[in-house]
Amino acid sequence: MEKKEIMIEVNDVSMRFNLGIDKGFSLKQGFVDLFKKEKKKKNKNEFWALKDVDFKVQKGEVIGFIGSNGAGKSTLLKVVAGVMKPTKGNVDAYGNICPMIELGAGFDPQLTARENIYLNGAVMGYSKELIDSKFEEIVEFSELQEFLDVPVQNFSSGMVARLAFSVATIVEPEILIVDEILSVGDIAFQSKSEAKMLSMINGGTTVLYVSHSLESIKKLCTKVVWIEHGVVQKIGGVDICDEYVKYMQR
Amino acid sequence: MKIINNLMYSFKKYKFLLSQLVSRDFKVKYKRSVLGIVWSLLYPILTMSVMALVFTNMFKMRTPGVNYLVYLMSGLVMFNYFSEASNLAMSSVVGNFSLINKVYIPKYIFPLSKCLFVGINFLLTLIPLYALIFITGTGVNIYHLLLPYAFLCLFLFTVGMGFILSTISVFLRDMFYIYGVVITLWTYLTPIMYDFATMMIPENLLVIFKLNPLYWFIKFARDIILYGAVPELNVWIYCGVCAIVSLFIGMFVFKKNQDKFIYYV
Repeated sequence: MEKKEIMIEVNDVSMRFNLGIDKGFSLKQGFVDLFKKEKKKKNKNEFWALKDVDFKVQKGEVIGFIGSNGAGKSTLLKVVAGVMKPTKGNVDAYGNICPMIELGAGFDPQLTARENIYLNGAVMGYSKELIDSKFEEIVEFSELQEFLDVPVQNFSSGMVARLAFSVATIVEPEILIVDEILSVGDIAFQSKSEAKMLSMINGGTTVLYVSHSLESIKKLCTKVVWIEHGVVQKIGGVDICDEYVKYMQR
Repeated sequence: MKIINNLMYSFKKYKFLLSQLVSRDFKVKYKRSVLGIVWSLLYPILTMSVMALVFTNMFKMRTPGVNYLVYLMSGLVMFNYFSEASNLAMSSVVGNFSLINKVYIPKYIFPLSKCLFVGINFLLTLIPLYALIFITGTGVNIYHLLLPYAFLCLFLFTVGMGFILSTISVFLRDMFYIYGVVITLWTYLTPIMYDFATMMIPENLLVIFKLNPLYWFIKFARDIILYGAVPELNVWIYCGVCAIVSLFIGMFVFKKNQDKFIYYV
């Protein structure tokens, strides 16, 4: 096998969440806790979302992540995308990352589609010149020409997703992180977005892909990582999917 | 040096995002209001008029030798900048959580964008202030060119406070309420509608009053606008030191804690 360029190195990454953290500590809660008789044990609330996850991704690989709900797939992608810092270990990514973790997160519902294209583009780190030059392309791909000056709060969820997908994919990123988003939009848009993904993959983009649709994993991916309870169960070819199905049916 | 280099790089990369966030705030603020941006000019005039009515008629407030309206307005626009910007900056990190949780963006950009947004609004409020300066016959002088120094110090001080407040509010949501009270107290401790000289405040208490950085920024501006004098050297120094100290403490606190934000919001 020819030696390929390594794009992402995930080195012994562990991620600890403290379930005791209750969305912001408030003075009142702290005061009440002072007088509570049973002191909660700190370690009881610890939860390892990821444990010693270690793998490398080569250029052009399309890696599918499978595992049951809460296995740690999305957490792993967030760590790779730099949204979260791992408790232990580190991640090295060599290339610009385009995270499509939750589309439309950067939208402001009060602004129009046109304004949101620029805002969301800026959130993804694009320059004004780039968005200007790709503006037509974005609008065309999203098929929302008639709704350009309508506030996004009046859009249907499918329309929002279409707009977001179109903005996110205007540049050919070196690393694309996709979390369960290809199931948006109607059938026509689904096949269109899948075709866009395929063309990016053929163009040499490295993809990390999370999905519960084993069918699309088998179709797109060259390698599969199976995670369960934050621990990597197996890394290998798409045939791991069948093992996973067996495991789930037990 | 490396830190400064990194900072410059991320500044360059996220310059466009910063401008987009600021313009977003502008568009959203005046969406569906008939007068739109005119409110930025009208609002300070109206609040000043109300305060002037109350304080000159009911409390017989006087500022000997200078026009009370200009005195009030100059303090008011600067204090309002601080109070609005620090409040918005405080809630900016918690408010943008949906973004912080999904895409990597340097988090300092949120409080900073709020301080800039209110800053542009502040520049607009200078229009009614200068209108008042002309109407009342106070007039301008060459020293007005020194005013940007006070505004810059006020801005940097506010950015620093914004960093500190937004960090605290992530961990302690009570801060939103606590700060509301603090700002009210701060309004009265700052000589906006009164003058220390006419208040007969005991000497030892006055020392405490003068620890307030906002007092120095406003004093700097008033020395020029009302008394036509270059502020004394110690005023320059106080302003600069307050701005730099606040900014550095804010940057330090924010940088130290920003990786933990994601677990708390």
